[in-house]
Amino acid sequence: MINTGQSAASQGLLSCHDCHALWKQSEQHTHCQRCGSALHLRKPNAMPLTWALLLTSTFLLVPANMLPIMMITSLGRGEPATILGGVIELINLGMYGIAFVVLAASILIPVGKIIGLLIMLVTLQFGLTTNMQQKMMMFRMVHWIGRWSMLDIFVVAVLVALVQMGNLAQISGQLGATAFAGVVIFTMLAANAFDTRLIWDKHSGTDSE
Amino acid sequence: MDKITDTEHLIACNECDLLLERPVILDSQKAKCPRCGSTLISARHNSIERTLALSIAGMILIFPANLFPLLTLELMGRTQSQTIFSSAMGFYYDGLWPLAVLVFMFTILVPACKLLLLFWVSFSLQFSIRLPARRFALRSYQHLDEWGMLEVYLVGVLVSVIKLVSMATLVPGIGIFCLGALILVTTMSSSMLDTDLFWHKIAEADHD
Repeated sequence: MINTGQSAASQGLLSCHDCHALWKQSEQHTHCQRCGSALHLRKPNAMPLTWALLLTSTFLLVPANMLPIMMITSLGRGEPATILGGVIELINLGMYGIAFVVLAASILIPVGKIIGLLIMLVTLQFGLTTNMQQKMMMFRMVHWIGRWSMLDIFVVAVLVALVQMGNLAQISGQLGATAFAGVVIFTMLAANAFDTRLIWDKHSGTDSE
Repeated sequence: MDKITDTEHLIACNECDLLLERPVILDSQKAKCPRCGSTLISARHNSIERTLALSIAGMILIFPANLFPLLTLELMGRTQSQTIFSSAMGFYYDGLWPLAVLVFMFTILVPACKLLLLFWVSFSLQFSIRLPARRFALRSYQHLDEWGMLEVYLVGVLVSVIKLVSMATLVPGIGIFCLGALILVTTMSSSMLDTDLFWHKIAEADHD
């Protein structure tokens, strides 16, 4: 007898991660008969993978913010630009709105995402299952907003392509940009590796193993 | 085979695994999980036709968006134009080839693949033609979805304009309007896609 209102796992069912078809755990299919993807009760190695990807992006935050993301050469003089420098420059130009957008996309969001995912991981690790709805809202935000952090990379890409005026003015990309793109990509991968079902398993006390 | 008879009236929340009776919803309605609030299913009016139409429109728009310049910079009589591809190549010339590859993937390759995959699946369902690999195509689309970043790129172009406008003359090209239209079409196509319906149709067709 299958009861609704419980986790599917506790009722002997599992849903496909890709097409969400429901299967009986006892049937021992390794792949979903509907969409062909590999079937797992929960995402395999969700916790260690998320930890590893999250730590990678945290380490990359350092070179991303310390190293210049581009070099602005004008009339023979080169000036390195960092992410924070770009924001300050916009503030000096009086463009507060744009300065905030860039600050949010390149510093607040990546750091906020890392903190958000850390909260998810730590509370799951220690079984603190309070404010579940809020945590899910936060996770969904982290997941949705992740790609917007690529904004700064695209700005540099456009500047590098446009400002190629020989010795008059020239902008070239620098290693900090690669590190920053790494931060964005690894946090996106970390959010994808995490399985929110795990925190609900802990919450309702169902043993999913 | 068992699945269709046994669990068809049930649905498990994709984010919290809560087992529920499958809600019956009308066009353009959404059903949310009562426990965690995630969207369970979201029905769209004429999902297959609209997805097909929008994916065709996108596949047409992607050419002018990539071929025509987005911006032209004029400084002391010199001009420099920029396309999406040239902004990826800029990093390559600076020796940052991993970044060049990423920018190329997120702004050209992934958006193009997404449109092609969506076209493949919706065309096959619309005309009941059993094209090969459509299950793989729809799954790939779902995984690629968030890695297409055209709208982020467009905002990047606008921020660059603001940074440069005080020191040089910038002329918008046809490309930027095509890019805007392309973003509109791809965003609409992903919101028109009712994955639950698509998977059901694929399963039905495979059973016949």
